[in-house]
Amino acid sequence: MNILLVMIPLSIVLLIGAVAAFFWAVNHDQFDDMDTPSLLALDDNPVRQPIAGEELRR
Amino acid sequence: MCCQGCRGAAEWIEQLGLGDYYRLRKQPAQKPDPNPDTYADHAAWRRPEIARHVTRNLSTGRRETMMLIDGVRCAACVWLIERALGSMPGVLSVQVNAASRRARVIWRDAEITLPQILAVLSRAGYRALPLDARALDDVRRRESRDALKRLLVAGFGAMQAMMYAAVLYLGGTDTLEPTTHELFRWLGFLVATPVVFYSARPFFAGALRYLRAHRLGMDVPVALAVAMIYGASLIEALSGEGHVYFDSVSMFVFFLLVGRYLEMRARHRAGDLTDALACLTPPFAQRRRDDGVLERIGIHELQVGDRVQVAEGGIVPADGVLLDERCRVNEALLSGESAPVNKQRHDALIAGSILIDGPAQLRIERVGADTTLAGIAALVGRAQAERPQLARAGERAATRFVARVLALTALTVVVWSFVDPARAFTAALAVLVVSCPCAFALAIPAAITRALAVLARRGVLVVKPDAIEALAAATHVVFDKTGTLTEPELALADIETFNGVSREAALKLAASIARESHHPAARAIAGACADKQLDAAVDVQSHAGLGVSAKAGGRQMRLGRADFALPLFSSEDLLELSSGRPDCDDAVLLADDAGPIAAFRLSERLRPGAREAVESLQVQGLKIIIASGDSAGKVADVAARLGLVDWHARQLPSDKLALLKALRAGGARVIAVGDGINDAPVLAGADVAIALAGGAELAQASSDIVLAGERLDTLAPARAIARHTLLVVRQNQRWSLFYNLVAMPLAALGFVHPWLAALGMSFSSLCVILNALRIGRQAAAHLRPSGNGARAELRAGVA
Repeated sequence: MNILLVMIPLSIVLLIGAVAAFFWAVNHDQFDDMDTPSLLALDDNPVRQPIAGEELRR
Repeated sequence: MCCQGCRGAAEWIEQLGLGDYYRLRKQPAQKPDPNPDTYADHAAWRRPEIARHVTRNLSTGRRETMMLIDGVRCAACVWLIERALGSMPGVLSVQVNAASRRARVIWRDAEITLPQILAVLSRAGYRALPLDARALDDVRRRESRDALKRLLVAGFGAMQAMMYAAVLYLGGTDTLEPTTHELFRWLGFLVATPVVFYSARPFFAGALRYLRAHRLGMDVPVALAVAMIYGASLIEALSGEGHVYFDSVSMFVFFLLVGRYLEMRARHRAGDLTDALACLTPPFAQRRRDDGVLERIGIHELQVGDRVQVAEGGIVPADGVLLDERCRVNEALLSGESAPVNKQRHDALIAGSILIDGPAQLRIERVGADTTLAGIAALVGRAQAERPQLARAGERAATRFVARVLALTALTVVVWSFVDPARAFTAALAVLVVSCPCAFALAIPAAITRALAVLARRGVLVVKPDAIEALAAATHVVFDKTGTLTEPELALADIETFNGVSREAALKLAASIARESHHPAARAIAGACADKQLDAAVDVQSHAGLGVSAKAGGRQMRLGRADFALPLFSSEDLLELSSGRPDCDDAVLLADDAGPIAAFRLSERLRPGAREAVESLQVQGLKIIIASGDSAGKVADVAARLGLVDWHARQLPSDKLALLKALRAGGARVIAVGDGINDAPVLAGADVAIALAGGAELAQASSDIVLAGERLDTLAPARAIARHTLLVVRQNQRWSLFYNLVAMPLAALGFVHPWLAALGMSFSSLCVILNALRIGRQAAAHLRPSGNGARAELRAGVA
């Protein structure tokens, strides 16, 4: 059963890591708008900037 | 500051003039809230430039503001705020909605100021923000981020706690060494502690606030249960005997937070439309100074009379008139019509519309809260701040329920301590946990909030939430014809003159009177006259359903129905006048006391979607009636084109009212559909008044429901949604009653283990919320929201 002494702290460390990652994501606007990105994907007229950039590079 | 109480005390000190202590003190003891800039300086609202942005002037020195109140949780908060504010001298009306957390306050400017109102609220423990789109978004974002974090911590905590608990449940004591057993108990404690102290904090804060206000809210039993389960488990863990409930307390908090989170999402959604509208005005405007130089200023610094330049593709910052020769704008967000609208010099431009070709100069006429856009937003907000009858009944039921739960818990403790003291604690815990006041309190608001949001997204703005109930129960629909089933814009088809008057002269004369009226027929006549330099008509009086009378060119003139324009003529004379043309009674007549001057013939078109709307309403089993002030021939024509047999022509407003009264006397529940302005008295006589309105009229329409964008085809789906809403409300109520009646006696008798109770309660809350979220799903299959609406939402989201 000594393996528990490794596995349990490991699970807790992973847990803390997951919570920290999630907090980071929340604080960096990843969950603020759950609706618009899904709509943007279906937008007929997406923002043209990337294309314009490509043309410039050519 | 550490808590709302401290804040309140500090405000109190400040008001008594003792605030100098803080100014004189050299070293602050503790920094207050990290973001004080959003609310600390109530006095900032005193500045007229800023106050104008959030308040609206009503008549006779009254002002109105809509504010967002942070920390409102349920009925008790609403009560507290209404009490605290309502008792202030000068405050005329307070309406708080817990679901959208908005308060609409009307006060007398001379007796109380906005900063004072905010101070009262913060002393009561609530942070109020006068509604400004940007401030609102920040509060909302912070709330949703906090909720997400709490939810996740509770979720992870519950998962881990259950894993550790599973070892204790499954392993048994015989296979586990006592030390391992002990270890798993303390591991449970380790993961449950952040859940209780971090994730469950809103419940404790809420409960404290209720207790301080001497009220029982929904948070009280929840907080009590969490504290008791956690405390009891800690004692057991310390003593090393008995059972620990760290897993159930984590799970309990997690499920409650899921419910709260879903509720919060629905709440935010409901506010979305208002905010989307309010967000549409840009933050800055380009003002042209007197010396011709352009300067960039904040939108709230705009004054009436300023000259503003809008760039091509720019958004008009405030209501104004065009100074350039012509331009084209997109007013889709106001009228739902995406086709560009041509504007000419001196035409009105509305805040929020997009300039298609530019740049354009305009002179500002209305700013801030007086703009049409703000009016529309206020209209929608007012609908949300008005609590429907249904919801008020639900709140009362929930408060009574909490009191009963606490009584039953006390009774359980007393009885069990006589029967079996060892089980008293567990049973009391189970009663507290299993009781689900949330289901009671959420049953109605969740459904109504959801329905309002779903309808608003389809362009159906519900002004009075009670209308949802009436809409669902309706049996008859009475349509007005002109401007409702047909396009409001009539076109002038023909002019016939009498006594040798020239056509142009007759048209000019008629137009000078007609432009004073908003009736579609009058607008058509006024619009047909190319010459804008008309003699002003004086002493203009409009007679509902008949026409307009005025003095023009020194003569008393009447423009309208034949029998109104020529009151002295008998019907035979009128018949003779028409000289064999049967459709002459359709015409609008211009006459003076000497006799007829001209007859104007108008043509009309069916509104797009009118036929589909009528058909789908008939499919739903509604009887459809047309009641129009127009002549029999035209009404019959429209009715035939729509396939309707029941129509009434030549109806005065009083006739229409009598018709509605007769229908209602016969047991029918009537929807009246009109344009909301010309037939306002008729709409008032119906069970549900629905107005079609676009643009500027929207805010003034006197009706229960407004079909924005003038789309008739949204009517049938709206009724389907209303019916579904009522169904869901009834299901939710029945479920809550059934669940509590079954679960609570079992818990009191000691049959329900606390962890099972936690599961049951959360399950019940989730059922209610998920059921409410079904509203709008089924109807979505019948009619997709309009492309315009989706794009508007998209734009608002991007902006």
